[in-house]
Amino acid sequence: MFSRKHTRKIYAVLIIAALAFPLISNNTYYITMLCLAFIYMIVAFGLNFITGMTGQVNLGTAGIFCIGAYTSALLTTKTFISPWLALLVVILFGFVIGIALGYPSLRLKGVYLSLTTIAFGEIVRQLVNNMTDFTGGAHGVRAIPPYCLFGFELNTKLRLYYFLLAVTIMFGLIAYRIIYSKWGRVFTAIRDNIDAVDTCGISSSKVKIIAFTLAAVFAAIAGGLYAHYSGYINPSTFTLNLSVSFVVMVMVGGSGTVLGSVLGAVLVSILPEMLRFLGNYYQIVFYILVFICTILIPNGIVNVFLERQKTKALPEKN
Amino acid sequence: MSIVRVTKEVVFLYKIILQLLVSGIAMGFVYGLVGIEYTLIWNSTGLLNFSHERIIMLGAYIFAGSFVLQTGLSVLPAIVATIIAIIFFAVFVAYTIFIPLRNMSALCAIMSTVMLGNIINESVRLYYGPEAITVKGFLTGMIRIGTLVVARAYVVIIFVALIILALLLLFMMKTKTGKAMRCVAQNKNASSLMGIDVQKNMMITIAISFSICSIIGLLVIPLYSVKQSMASMISLKGFAAGVIGGFGSLPGAIVGGLFIGIIENIAGMIFPSTFKDVVAFVCLILMLLLRPSGILGKKRIS
Repeated sequence: MFSRKHTRKIYAVLIIAALAFPLISNNTYYITMLCLAFIYMIVAFGLNFITGMTGQVNLGTAGIFCIGAYTSALLTTKTFISPWLALLVVILFGFVIGIALGYPSLRLKGVYLSLTTIAFGEIVRQLVNNMTDFTGGAHGVRAIPPYCLFGFELNTKLRLYYFLLAVTIMFGLIAYRIIYSKWGRVFTAIRDNIDAVDTCGISSSKVKIIAFTLAAVFAAIAGGLYAHYSGYINPSTFTLNLSVSFVVMVMVGGSGTVLGSVLGAVLVSILPEMLRFLGNYYQIVFYILVFICTILIPNGIVNVFLERQKTKALPEKN
Repeated sequence: MSIVRVTKEVVFLYKIILQLLVSGIAMGFVYGLVGIEYTLIWNSTGLLNFSHERIIMLGAYIFAGSFVLQTGLSVLPAIVATIIAIIFFAVFVAYTIFIPLRNMSALCAIMSTVMLGNIINESVRLYYGPEAITVKGFLTGMIRIGTLVVARAYVVIIFVALIILALLLLFMMKTKTGKAMRCVAQNKNASSLMGIDVQKNMMITIAISFSICSIIGLLVIPLYSVKQSMASMISLKGFAAGVIGGFGSLPGAIVGGLFIGIIENIAGMIFPSTFKDVVAFVCLILMLLLRPSGILGKKRIS
């Protein structure tokens, strides 16, 4: 129904709507929710490379997100350096983790990889929770300073909203360019037929590590942004459930597309709030909806409408 | 004088190590049972049951919430009733979710079992309320064995686990259904050609797996009490146990479980005890990197 040209129009409409939203609505609550959705979007853009395109189930994203958040938070509260400098360290950490996590993915497939990544996430959470002297343990880190831009402190919700919107658009653009680049095509090729990739003279292991590193860097940066956005972090945020909801964003939104990640992140962070009128039952209704989506449209909502994906995007299990 | 003191200290240390060993073996059997329970489903349907944490919890809630507190049954009939209830639930889940799902891609299968777990979790919260339930006097207290004092729960766990293992072994080796289960695990097409009803067999496997889950739930009540997060650690470590012992192998699950249980208790003595929960996952990652086929596994993973 939609070709690539149409999706560009959709992006333009979305960006204008996002820019205009605070002017129309004065509801701080929705603005806060959207800020969170922007941060999740960046993670989803990254996760899309591994889970959506290369087809490896990564359930340890919360661990990377957690490392990003804690690195930035601890550096700025303990050594008082600028959050921007901390961001550089966060990117470096994301890079190192990506390579370290990508290496096992060369030897492990399917469930093994998901178990390894779960173990990774769990190790990070336990360490952060238990190294009380260093990380503050279950009490978390308080009073994380906000970002400063040209002398502006990004401390009000509105300023944060536009800042995060700009960052998200930037990362969306990067992700979009990567998806339609040589890398992106190789990612999809790895999911569909890994032997063919090697036969064509492309090192599949190198590309897998690239996918992991990209995802880790995106997730770590998002973690850093999250720390400075909320001003207070504690380990109970970064559970396996968070990793699962990142995968849900990519899957339900639409794997392999930027639009899918945008839709998924907005759905996962806003839909539960929209279902609040159901009272006590809103959470269970949300899970049931996701469950139905997973079974009926495993390639995601966006791919139902996209012309490009005529073939089945996810391979059948052998 | 000093020799007496040294011998006293040695005896004391020896006692501590023995106690740690007993608790390690008991926890090891719990992890091993978790490993067995999900390996059964994996072998039969090729699905990794990520909802097993919630099913363990569901078993404990049905036992404590419904049968002991609401209807006031005594412990033994309540256990039987719980297992029967869980088997009915398993048949329902098998026919509606697990069997239709088994041909989907790995990602979808994983996510749908995770979502099933979340749905069960929310239903339990809505039905039983968010507060933890305690069952008074269930498996509590201490037992003296010679000079050794151990918690009664640990002894019961070891005994029940051994009984379950023996029954499972008998079932798998001697009965026709059990043999059919092993056939289905090896080759589904060939077993359906041999006249085995593969779907029915999967249903039976899932029912057995779920009832083992509920028994695990009952066994760990004295350790974690009945709350929603009661099984989160043991279910993850159970995954680790299965992989460390050899993925897809039932004896491997028990070996891996005992390995983790003992190592983690000994490590708790050497390192600060706060790092106790990390040990299992570090072992898992090391094992996956160095020997992905596990302790008992022989085949290379392809």
